[in-house]
Amino acid sequence: MITAERKPMEEILDFIKPYNSILLVGCNECVTVCAAGGRKEVGILSSSLKMAFMKEGRTLEVKELTLERQCDPEYVEELANQIDQVDAVLSMACGCGVQEVAQRYPEKMVFPALNTKFMGASESQGVWSERCRGCGDCLLGITGGICPVARCSKRIMNGPCGGSTNGKCEISPDVDCAWYLIWERLKAQGLEDKYEDIIEAKDWRPSWHGGPRTIIREDLSE
Amino acid sequence: MTQKNNKVLVIGGGMGGLRSTLDLAATGRDAILIDKDSSIGGLMTMLDRTFPTNNCDLCTLSSTLSETGRQKHIQLKTLTQLEDLKGEAGNFKVTLKTKPRYIDIDKCTGCGDCYKMFKECVNFSPGLDHRAPTCMRYPQAIPQAFSIDIEKCQDINKISELCQANAIIPDDTEKIEEIEVGSIILASGAELFNPNKLDNFGSGNYPNVVTGLEYERIMSASGPTLGNLERPSDQKKPKRIAWIQCVGSRTNREGENPYCSSVCCMYALKEAIVTKERFQDDIETVIFYMDMRTSGKGYQQYQNRAEDEYGVKFIRSRPHSIIQDTETKNLSLRYTLYDSSKILDEEFDMVVLSTGFCIPDTTKQLLNKLEIDVNEYSFVKTSSFHPVETSKKGIYVCGISESPKDIPETMVQGSAAACLASAYSDITNDNAELEELLPPERNVENEDPAIGVFICDCGNEINDVISVSDIEKYTKDLPNVKISEIVGHGCSSESLKHIQSVIQDQQLNRIVIAACSPRTHSTIFQDAIRKAGLNKYLVEIVNIRDQDAWVHKDQPEKAIKKAKTLIRMAVASVVKRHALIEYVLPVNKDVLVIGGGVSGMNSALLLADYGFKIFLIEQASQLGGVSKRIKRTISGEDVQLYLTDLIEKTVNHDNIEVLTDVSIVDHKGMVGRFTTGVQIKSDSNVRFIEHGVTIIATGAIPGRPKEYLLNEHKAVVTQCELDSVIAEQPESIKKWDNIVMIQCVGSRSEENPGCSRICCQTAIKNALNILEINPDVRIFIIYRDIRTYGFYEDYYRKAREKGVVFLRYEPENKPKVKESGDQILVTFKDLLLDRNVEITADCLALSTGLIAPEEENEKLASVFQLCRTTDGYFLENHIKLRPVDMTARGFLVAGTAHGPKTIRESIAQSQAAAGRAMTFLANKEINLGAGVAIVDGDKCASCLICVRECPYDVPFINADGYSEIDPTNCHGCGICVAACPAKAIQLMQFEDDVILAALSGLIERI
Amino acid sequence: MGNFEPVIVAFCCHYCAYTAADMAGSMRISYPANVKIVRVPCSGRVDTKHILEAFLNGADGVYVAGCLENDCHFKDGNIKAAKRVKYAKKLLDEIGIEPDRLEMVMMSAGMGEHFAQVASEITEKIRKLGPIPIKKH
Repeated sequence: MITAERKPMEEILDFIKPYNSILLVGCNECVTVCAAGGRKEVGILSSSLKMAFMKEGRTLEVKELTLERQCDPEYVEELANQIDQVDAVLSMACGCGVQEVAQRYPEKMVFPALNTKFMGASESQGVWSERCRGCGDCLLGITGGICPVARCSKRIMNGPCGGSTNGKCEISPDVDCAWYLIWERLKAQGLEDKYEDIIEAKDWRPSWHGGPRTIIREDLSE
Repeated sequence: MTQKNNKVLVIGGGMGGLRSTLDLAATGRDAILIDKDSSIGGLMTMLDRTFPTNNCDLCTLSSTLSETGRQKHIQLKTLTQLEDLKGEAGNFKVTLKTKPRYIDIDKCTGCGDCYKMFKECVNFSPGLDHRAPTCMRYPQAIPQAFSIDIEKCQDINKISELCQANAIIPDDTEKIEEIEVGSIILASGAELFNPNKLDNFGSGNYPNVVTGLEYERIMSASGPTLGNLERPSDQKKPKRIAWIQCVGSRTNREGENPYCSSVCCMYALKEAIVTKERFQDDIETVIFYMDMRTSGKGYQQYQNRAEDEYGVKFIRSRPHSIIQDTETKNLSLRYTLYDSSKILDEEFDMVVLSTGFCIPDTTKQLLNKLEIDVNEYSFVKTSSFHPVETSKKGIYVCGISESPKDIPETMVQGSAAACLASAYSDITNDNAELEELLPPERNVENEDPAIGVFICDCGNEINDVISVSDIEKYTKDLPNVKISEIVGHGCSSESLKHIQSVIQDQQLNRIVIAACSPRTHSTIFQDAIRKAGLNKYLVEIVNIRDQDAWVHKDQPEKAIKKAKTLIRMAVASVVKRHALIEYVLPVNKDVLVIGGGVSGMNSALLLADYGFKIFLIEQASQLGGVSKRIKRTISGEDVQLYLTDLIEKTVNHDNIEVLTDVSIVDHKGMVGRFTTGVQIKSDSNVRFIEHGVTIIATGAIPGRPKEYLLNEHKAVVTQCELDSVIAEQPESIKKWDNIVMIQCVGSRSEENPGCSRICCQTAIKNALNILEINPDVRIFIIYRDIRTYGFYEDYYRKAREKGVVFLRYEPENKPKVKESGDQILVTFKDLLLDRNVEITADCLALSTGLIAPEEENEKLASVFQLCRTTDGYFLENHIKLRPVDMTARGFLVAGTAHGPKTIRESIAQSQAAAGRAMTFLANKEINLGAGVAIVDGDKCASCLICVRECPYDVPFINADGYSEIDPTNCHGCGICVAACPAKAIQLMQFEDDVILAALSGLIERI
Repeated sequence: MGNFEPVIVAFCCHYCAYTAADMAGSMRISYPANVKIVRVPCSGRVDTKHILEAFLNGADGVYVAGCLENDCHFKDGNIKAAKRVKYAKKLLDEIGIEPDRLEMVMMSAGMGEHFAQVASEITEKIRKLGPIPIKKH
């Protein structure tokens, strides 16, 4: 899923300072699952912003709405009859959702309430960590199911580097060395030989080094 | 047909008596509960926390007690004793004597005015009374009323004038009445040994020598020291505390008791652990003991934790005496160690005496009146195969009056006694008829809110501080309020009737009642509203008595303002309330019993006799289980004779269908309507059995670890096999010269940390039986602790008297065995001589104990979704209070499937399981209440947060891809509701909009 | 400001804190009338939103009262509540409202005296902090 975290309150307040009413839009997909922008967080942010405004002697009107998915135009369309009643929109979706709303309603200022972080997995209740950077050319088949692009700090293709100590990365003792994990996994599968294969320099063109990407499914697209 | 008189008399309102009473009432039978004290609860209410969960008792006990107060099948008579008994089972005539309380319980509101003014003569035994050791943590005394000590009272009329409720009866007198009952349950308990009569420990003279119970009070948050650990002499926190075990127990000294009190080891451990946990880690805690007897389920692990995690120190010694330093009041404890004759003196700040149970004289007199047999220590005599039946037909016993035991065993016996006593009592359940008299519920969903506010004056309890007429005026103008009224004594039957008629006349659809605590009174008001044709959840109860009038007496203006706020909040929130459905399920009355051993057959037979249809499933080809291998009990009863009879009765009973060679392959449903698929081994078809409850009685198996040449040498046998040799080949025993027995083989080890409970007495039983055949044989029992709890201690003593040699070994220095022709050479370190000793044994008997059948239990657990302990036994709902019910509703556990136990204990638990099963089966429907979490599938993002957050693992993601919460398993805590990031879950009765609406009423809005 | 009477909301769990409050009643132990109790089945039922809304609706102080550690009727609802309160305190701080206006407390059902003591202490603390700076006047 795409993970995100609420922006500092100060930054959000800076965005909406000029307005008296906002539409606070949540998203029932990834950001709900990572507890950043679902109905619950919308409710909490709404109350928080109202309090912050009252502290300045002002009142803020907040309309709360959580869409099934903010990155699909049909769902975003559901905002149409509310948008005129507010001064601005604050989106609690990931960057995709914010842009989708901004594109559909060009006349309104649309602000992000979240910082979109990464594509990750939930490690345990309340803990998420990065697993994929969308490089466009998946390596997992030869790296024992552990991605050096997302999980090696240096993104090196033939690790580990000299900074790997006791299975941890030199940047922090809390960060696993991806290449150590890769080695352990391959060893467990009896594929130590594979580790010796040199991975050639990665072609980064399918990644964002080739500019913004698009996927077209011919059998679906019009 | 047995003659039946509908009522059962229960003597004693401690935990055992309460359990019996509640079970009887739950099956629709009438019980009369008498207690000589002024309120019920017994010894448990005095404890701080209970082992092994270290929980506060109040929370666990109070729910049991308030059940008692509510049940209409229960007649409670406090300050009452049995005077005389005539007649026979089915038709007893009992004379009861009730001491005057001088207070009318029905009128007393528990306001405490009398107690405040006349402290010297008013008793409030739930613990506000500083003279009684009962505890302040117990606010829900039942009955909630005071009593007067007339001898200390100077002028009763003065108190009488003071009482607003007119509850004082100055000329109250002793009452004698005769009642008729069908059967009697004796649950009179015991008292604790008084150590003041010992001359060596200074108890009663040295302030810092306290009993275990006194120490509980010192630790208790509302005890005399308000939960601060202070020693009595100088109120300083002790740094070194010693516990002395077996004070007054396990001794032949005059005035003390030869038996083991069974619970003291565990309570000393608990007190030491809690001391470490709650106070300071650096307090040194030392337990002086003879044998640590932690043989209950999970108890050995508890002891290990005390030692390994908490650093409680253990010294194996029975101390000689205590000398007090006259100045510091510190205590010097004199003792010697096992392996030396050196006298040691060690100083402690405090010493706790672990005193055991004994039967008080009042109970002896009672037992005399009942004319039932007692043993030499005045405990009620029972037999192994009839563990809760006394010598007199129709009189049953439970708890410590039968033998020293802890709470779970008492609860087991309580349920067992209730089950058996029911044979002389008819069901008088009129719930069904009552239901039919209720008017249909009015649908108010589309009506505009029309609120009725009723304000109770509670006599003058509320009105004295908060002018109810002021409140009445104020509430009239609140939004949506149609009518506001004062009702005098709101919970009296006239007032309730009045409220009902107003609801109907005014077509009210939401009700606010400003009165006392919803904790105690919501049921009464909900019932009243339901009778008026409204759903019972359309009411809000505002606590303006306990949480306003009573606590703000000194500032009435603020109290009024607060009452207005609280009512305003309730008026705002009641509008958001909806009619809720309670989850009720029709009950299938058939029972599935799994396991055809002694336990399973006992449960099956009892229930079959009560008319229920039983399916008894056994995986083997024959009934009988492990008991087939046991010849006699330690007290000499013939197990095989009993078993043959039991099997014959089971097989021939019309209501029992026995299925052998069967395995369980499928299971679904919920309590009251389970479906279980069973497969007979020779057949490929699966048969589906529908049933309402399930009893798990699958048993345990004798352990057989690969140790000490077992299976390799024919002279090495298990105790179970030795039992057979004794019965079948006495001739071979006559040829033996030496027998060695090794205890704890395969138990109390790293792989299996638990104690097998039965092995010590089994070894002693076999040793005594062997000596009967061959008095010249030398028997050596090599042990770690001898755990002959209760009266089994007598056999331990007898064995020593007869010359059985008991030798201790340390786990790190186990005995070594070697083949020596037909014999076995056993080498071990004698701790007394401090050198290795060799014995050539003709027979080496290993006490291998019982283990849970891992494969079978794992399979059952996965089919039925049952929880197990780490050592593979099935887990009960609550280790203390619900030792028979399992966490999955409608599942009960009996016998060794629950943990190692003797035949006697297994039978008691199987009778209890049958009794508990009847409490489910007595109802046409099972009501699960309305306060459950409900998921809105459209909003759910299937994020799994609720699945991970639920303390009971109830939510799951269903086939439609959203979270589902089975209302019949939901406990109603609301933890998932608060965590759900999609706000897809709501907790009925405590919905978000109800809570937020209440908050919206916080400030007056004009 | 001299006779400022703070409005305080106490979310009390049914099994312990609410019972303790009743206990204070039966023992007639007085505490400030400022405290208004909202009953919840378990302190784990209390949502961050409830806490914020209590402030928005005029509370100057809020506390969540659950069972003692290890004594929760629902295993660990009180521990979860404590974590949520901690989170809400940070949120208050971000908005510029003193986090001290919010507390988590734990008590057993029998601790009537303690309930009263907590109520008094918290009331005094909030009285010193003064009115919450978000009131409409």
